[in-house]
Amino acid sequence: MLDLAGDILNWAAAGVFFPLLFLPLGLLISDKRPSLFWAAFTALIVCAGLLFVRLTPVLALTPSPAKMMWFAGLFAGTVTATAVIGLKKTSWYLSGAFEVIAKSIGRGVMWLLLAMAVIQFGVVILRYVFGLNYIFMQESITYMHGAVFLLAGGYALLTDDHVRVDIFYREATPKRKALVDLLGTYLLLTPVCLLLIWTASPYVARSWAVGEGSNESSGIQALFIIKSFIPAFAVLMMMAGFVIAARAVATLKERG
Amino acid sequence: MEFEIGNVAFCACAIAGWLDILMVLVLCVVLVMGYPVAFSLAGTALLFAVLGLTFGVFDISYLIPFPQRVFGAVSNTTLIAVPMFILMGVILEKSKIAEELLDEMAKLFGSLPGGLGLSVTIVGMLLAASTGIVGATVVTMGLLSLPTMLRRGYDPAFASGSIAAAGTLGQIIPPSIVLILLGDVISNAYQRAQLQQGIMSPDTVSVGHLFAGALLPGLMLVGFYICWQLFVALTSPKKAPAIPAAELGSRKEVWAAAMKTLPPPLILIIAVLGSILAGVATPTEAASVGAIGALLIAGMRLAPKGSLLAGRFAVLVSAIAIIGLLILTSALDLRLGRDSISVMETAGIAIAFLLFALTPWGVVASLFQLHREKAMAPIFDQTARVTTMVFTILIGAALFSLVFRGLGGDDTVHRALAATPGGVVGAVLTVMIVMFILGFFLDFIEITLVVVPLVGPPLLAMGLDPVWLGVMMAINLQTSFLTPPFGFALFYLRGVASPEVKTADIYRGAIPYIGVQLLALGVLALWPQIATWLPGVLYD
Repeated sequence: MLDLAGDILNWAAAGVFFPLLFLPLGLLISDKRPSLFWAAFTALIVCAGLLFVRLTPVLALTPSPAKMMWFAGLFAGTVTATAVIGLKKTSWYLSGAFEVIAKSIGRGVMWLLLAMAVIQFGVVILRYVFGLNYIFMQESITYMHGAVFLLAGGYALLTDDHVRVDIFYREATPKRKALVDLLGTYLLLTPVCLLLIWTASPYVARSWAVGEGSNESSGIQALFIIKSFIPAFAVLMMMAGFVIAARAVATLKERG
Repeated sequence: MEFEIGNVAFCACAIAGWLDILMVLVLCVVLVMGYPVAFSLAGTALLFAVLGLTFGVFDISYLIPFPQRVFGAVSNTTLIAVPMFILMGVILEKSKIAEELLDEMAKLFGSLPGGLGLSVTIVGMLLAASTGIVGATVVTMGLLSLPTMLRRGYDPAFASGSIAAAGTLGQIIPPSIVLILLGDVISNAYQRAQLQQGIMSPDTVSVGHLFAGALLPGLMLVGFYICWQLFVALTSPKKAPAIPAAELGSRKEVWAAAMKTLPPPLILIIAVLGSILAGVATPTEAASVGAIGALLIAGMRLAPKGSLLAGRFAVLVSAIAIIGLLILTSALDLRLGRDSISVMETAGIAIAFLLFALTPWGVVASLFQLHREKAMAPIFDQTARVTTMVFTILIGAALFSLVFRGLGGDDTVHRALAATPGGVVGAVLTVMIVMFILGFFLDFIEITLVVVPLVGPPLLAMGLDPVWLGVMMAINLQTSFLTPPFGFALFYLRGVASPEVKTADIYRGAIPYIGVQLLALGVLALWPQIATWLPGVLYD
């Protein structure tokens, strides 16, 4: 049951979510752009291919044929669907949806901060006045802390709260800023999030498989949920990155 | 043909050995482009991990602990103090308590020569002790105090320098967020250093040690600032004229108003800091008390007169209940689950339960008042955003240090520090200069999380005191925030200062304070006891 759920998640991520993430980039290139863009794009693909060939033995990647078929099918379906709906429209829909998801989750988890402060205050009084210790209360604060900073990350990207070194960025023209955001999203943010998902998935899957809980018997027995927030952080970040990239492409395409 | 391939291979090998240094250089370029720092760090690291894999000088197993590192940031209970302290600071800021403090202090000190400058320094100290967010402090004071000071005929350079310097106090005066992060990083570095020397049961340093160590140097800095301001005001009164006392209203009224606004935040700061330094509470526990206390103060301030159920009365009842609990606890043993509890203690427990039951009333009333003022959602919104920003950098820095280590960067740093002429002094000086320069374009948080784990273990292995080193680093970085042209505090101030204040004025005003900072660093280097004495008394 858990295996199947994991597989479905994997296929959906690899075959549908990841290809769609690059839609803004495709949108930029599909426009009548100077051939320089095409050259750079082709070079990038060739480099990626060469790297893949070079690194396959190092990483010991041996995808099974059945899984590759699933992946290929989903990928083809996604591409076809996108082509039918239209690149621009799909990008617009997705951008709207991702923005709503990242924002509402971020603005939802922020209330946990209130609960954290109140419960921690309660823990302090119970411990120092009445000498009572409730491990589940202390652990619930840890859970909420993790939820807040992992799940609000994408929201903070949308509100531009992640600090930048803005010596040059501050003074830059909107187009230059858009270029930095676009390149940063695809060269820095997305690869890092992919790495996090790739390294976290066995880590989280193991946790789910054994139903990992607290070390204390009276603690909260749901450590696997908090660990799932780690890939969720990466997914929300990529969603926010998509929105940023789509905005950047719109800016770059403006005339003048 | 053979020859050429050999050449290329040789070239690749030569590069492969230098990947760790190349990574740092490329990072600088990527950072300056302006993409969020957390992902610049992690993205550059990933690029070099792939390069290292391609050249066969990087082991993939270094990447595997990445999610564990992220989980480490979740499960580290000390770091939970960070969102709590941010919450406390944001509540004090959004409920305009900082503004009120500034106003009262200006009235209190205004009639002294240089009085407005003094009031800025003292409020900066108080805000630093309650929040420690540099940007917020500089912006608040730049918006409120700078126009007043200019109107009163203060020299623009003197005024803006005072504000920028007072704003950076948030870094050094505990409880500051960066000191929490620094404490966490330094304690890890200290353990590594001792394990490498073969000490199997290493000494530990905690965030509390660092707070205690930073307190006296922080107050010393405040003293230095005040001395400088008095010196300027007395030698060139034109730059910082005293306001005629008659304009500020009668002394009695001023004192009465100050006595009303000043004590609550002051008591809160003393309670929070005191309980951490006395070792009674962990930083996280104290921070939650601070956040709830700030909430009550905000409720008290915002509540209109008259409303009984959700107004000042409710807040007052809660505050008294909390103080009552404190007194009761110190007088009687109220712990439950003991074998014999005397009649007296039973009565005490009953009263304590009653008092405990009363505390939520004021909290709810305060929340209601914040909600009524439309300040509730913005408070938690901003806290969540600042918190996730800090921890995302932590995630990025985690990947960066994993890859840097995997590429052999640790050894490179070790060798570089060992090869520095001048032994320990030379090594410390080099690190300080490098951190100072990095401080021009990186935030304290990034430097703490990226640089300190690398240079910490070798420096501490040379026998330096971890608390002293941490405080030196903190003051050093604080200075770099004041240094033109890139200082962070100056940027923030430029953002809110009116156009009549020239950028050159802001730069000129900061320079004497840089001198003061360097003096403080020198004093601390000559007399390390200023930093190490208090932790020694409190914890040994």
